[in-house]
Amino acid sequence: MKQSKSMMVLFLTPALVTFATVFIYPIIRTVFMSFYYVKTVTDSFGKWEFVGFGNYGKLMASSMFIQSLKNLGNIWLWGGIGVFLIAILFSMILTSGVKGKSFYRAAIYLPNVVSAIAMATMWIQYAFNSKYGLFFQFFSFLGMDNAAAFQWTSPDNQFYAMLIAYSFGMVGYYVLIFMAGIEKIPSDYYEAAKLEGANMFHQFRHITIPLMTDVFRTSIVMWSISTVAFFIWSQVFSPLDPDVGTIVPMVYMYNLVFGRNLTLTDPTLLNAGAGAAVGVLMTLLVLLTFSMVNLVFRDKKLEF
Amino acid sequence: MKKSIGFLLSILMILAVFSTPLSAAGQQDSNPDAKELVYWSMWNETEPQAMVLKDAIKEFEKSNPDVKVTIQWNGREIRKTLQPALDAGTEIDIWDEDLERIVKTWQPYALKLDDYYGQSYPSTNGKSFEDTVMKSLQAHLKTLSTDKGLYAVPYQPYVVSVFYNKDHFDKAGITSTPTNWDEFLAVCSKLKAAGFTPVTIDDAYMDLPLGMHLNRKFGNPDAVEALVKDRSGKLWDDPKVLETAKEFEALAKGGYMSEQVATNKWPAGQQEVATDQVSIYFLNGTWLPNEVMGTTGPDFKWGQFAYPAVPNGAGAGAGTFGAQGFQINKDCAAPDAAFALAAHLTSGKWDQELSANTFGAPMDTSMEWPVQIKESAAIFASLKSFVPWSGGLAADPDAFPIVKAEFTRLLAGQVTAEEFIANIKSNL
Repeated sequence: MKQSKSMMVLFLTPALVTFATVFIYPIIRTVFMSFYYVKTVTDSFGKWEFVGFGNYGKLMASSMFIQSLKNLGNIWLWGGIGVFLIAILFSMILTSGVKGKSFYRAAIYLPNVVSAIAMATMWIQYAFNSKYGLFFQFFSFLGMDNAAAFQWTSPDNQFYAMLIAYSFGMVGYYVLIFMAGIEKIPSDYYEAAKLEGANMFHQFRHITIPLMTDVFRTSIVMWSISTVAFFIWSQVFSPLDPDVGTIVPMVYMYNLVFGRNLTLTDPTLLNAGAGAAVGVLMTLLVLLTFSMVNLVFRDKKLEF
Repeated sequence: MKKSIGFLLSILMILAVFSTPLSAAGQQDSNPDAKELVYWSMWNETEPQAMVLKDAIKEFEKSNPDVKVTIQWNGREIRKTLQPALDAGTEIDIWDEDLERIVKTWQPYALKLDDYYGQSYPSTNGKSFEDTVMKSLQAHLKTLSTDKGLYAVPYQPYVVSVFYNKDHFDKAGITSTPTNWDEFLAVCSKLKAAGFTPVTIDDAYMDLPLGMHLNRKFGNPDAVEALVKDRSGKLWDDPKVLETAKEFEALAKGGYMSEQVATNKWPAGQQEVATDQVSIYFLNGTWLPNEVMGTTGPDFKWGQFAYPAVPNGAGAGAGTFGAQGFQINKDCAAPDAAFALAAHLTSGKWDQELSANTFGAPMDTSMEWPVQIKESAAIFASLKSFVPWSGGLAADPDAFPIVKAEFTRLLAGQVTAEEFIANIKSNL
């Protein structure tokens, strides 16, 4: 027994050391850095200037950072509701014995394979364009001129345009997860329920949902992590400077650390320390969501 | 079979024996004065600029056999990767990026070039290098540095101006370009009467007309910066701001703006002009004809004029301009060779090649400007003072997106001049 323990230590040490160097050290350094004014990421420690919670205070006083949090919240909530509802619907249909299941599954998953930049460009130029885009053509064909003239990418609407485009690409991923969850539920339950006279809705309400709790919990955590990292879609929708409707915390952080894309950022506005503070806040946000989800779904572990 | 393998092995052995002295002899032949320059480029290898630079560097190596140039094509990522690399001591002798950015950001890493500007090089035709570089760019370069020194070599200059379709102007009977706001509105009215949509712009450039207009009104970018940084909103009550908003409102009310203006995501607006649907692109850089060349072809009749003077303003003559620039590392082991390379790339033949291949402006004052942007040459020459990109509106990253969004609504006719100001004040 003793020998095997020492063997465990021997084998685990390289992995632990690697983990500590590539994960723990950057995390600690980032947290540490968020309490300093650091002009550029590569500045040596000697140039750091201690500001306490100054960076956090600045972020909270910035109307654009608050706006970025609001946008993130809306993406998480409304995007999440939309994606999960559609994904559940699709996965129910696809697991109900419909013909051509693997084709539909592949088709729904396809947007995940395409690069996000290509997808976003496609949406902006070919779907939302109010002169020759897909929606324009579609609504014009139906004679709905007001709907056809809708300005998808104007300042008033571009947040929703971006949300729709992003959510479209995310549905396929959750369809796969939900399908796997549903297929794991033994078919006897459904058969027994059918014999007892339960309709589709009853089956869904009393069998599928309770037995999918674990899958939902994992999915919500994964959705939270992916929305906190929301970056590319915002960048493609406003490549030069973030707009009110497209700014998210990661873009705000990027601009603090690296400056803007075209306009030269006043060098005094660059602050990698404040960028680190954004990173710390986002990590806390994910942890908070994780604990909330665990609180809501606690003690509901079912084995089947 | 065995014999043939044995034969091959013996040949290999003989080669191995003789190759050692041969390679040693090769080393002896190499030039002890050989200099290596490492160039980190802002271009991607497939861009037209990169193609020209590659050929130019090959020619430089041919005429300077003791210099070997290693190129790393970074693309625009260089903005992020250069400084960490310099801090880490990576050997980089020469790099390029936006002129303003390199001097303001990387001056501490760069070599002061004032002495080199005074000398002549093979590509400068007997003149000193400083005589080939636009005077306005040299003056601008000096204002960017902390000690009024020259810390970069500019190339590919650009100037921001109003772009128009000359065919549309001819068909609408417009014989001269507008120099003030009333004339501009009159031109728009004539274009509209002739059946054209007069003006458009994209989200990417939306801030330029407002920034330039406010600069014309107030006379300097500092006032615009103060305006956008004012959290109390008091400065927005200045009558000049309302006048400005009213003047843009007139464009929207006159039906002169493209209906797509609020929804135009770059390059949708540029394409409106390139595909003959709209006559004027409100403000853009001299790179515009090249960007839409795939749509227009080289024969599209481009014209340009400077942003018009505005009512009760401080006059015209100020404009946004800039360039790309090369910078040389202050620790470069062969600074003379590095500057000779920069001079080779930015004057004479290769400056002209770059201009011709990208339909951009040449840096060398003796060179012709491409026909598509010919009128920009006169605009550049007439500039009296510098207006930063966005005219100073971008000075406050919090207020800037709010101002830009409201200005988009104003141009699209979705809000009135008064609502424009009130909305900005309430959102600041």
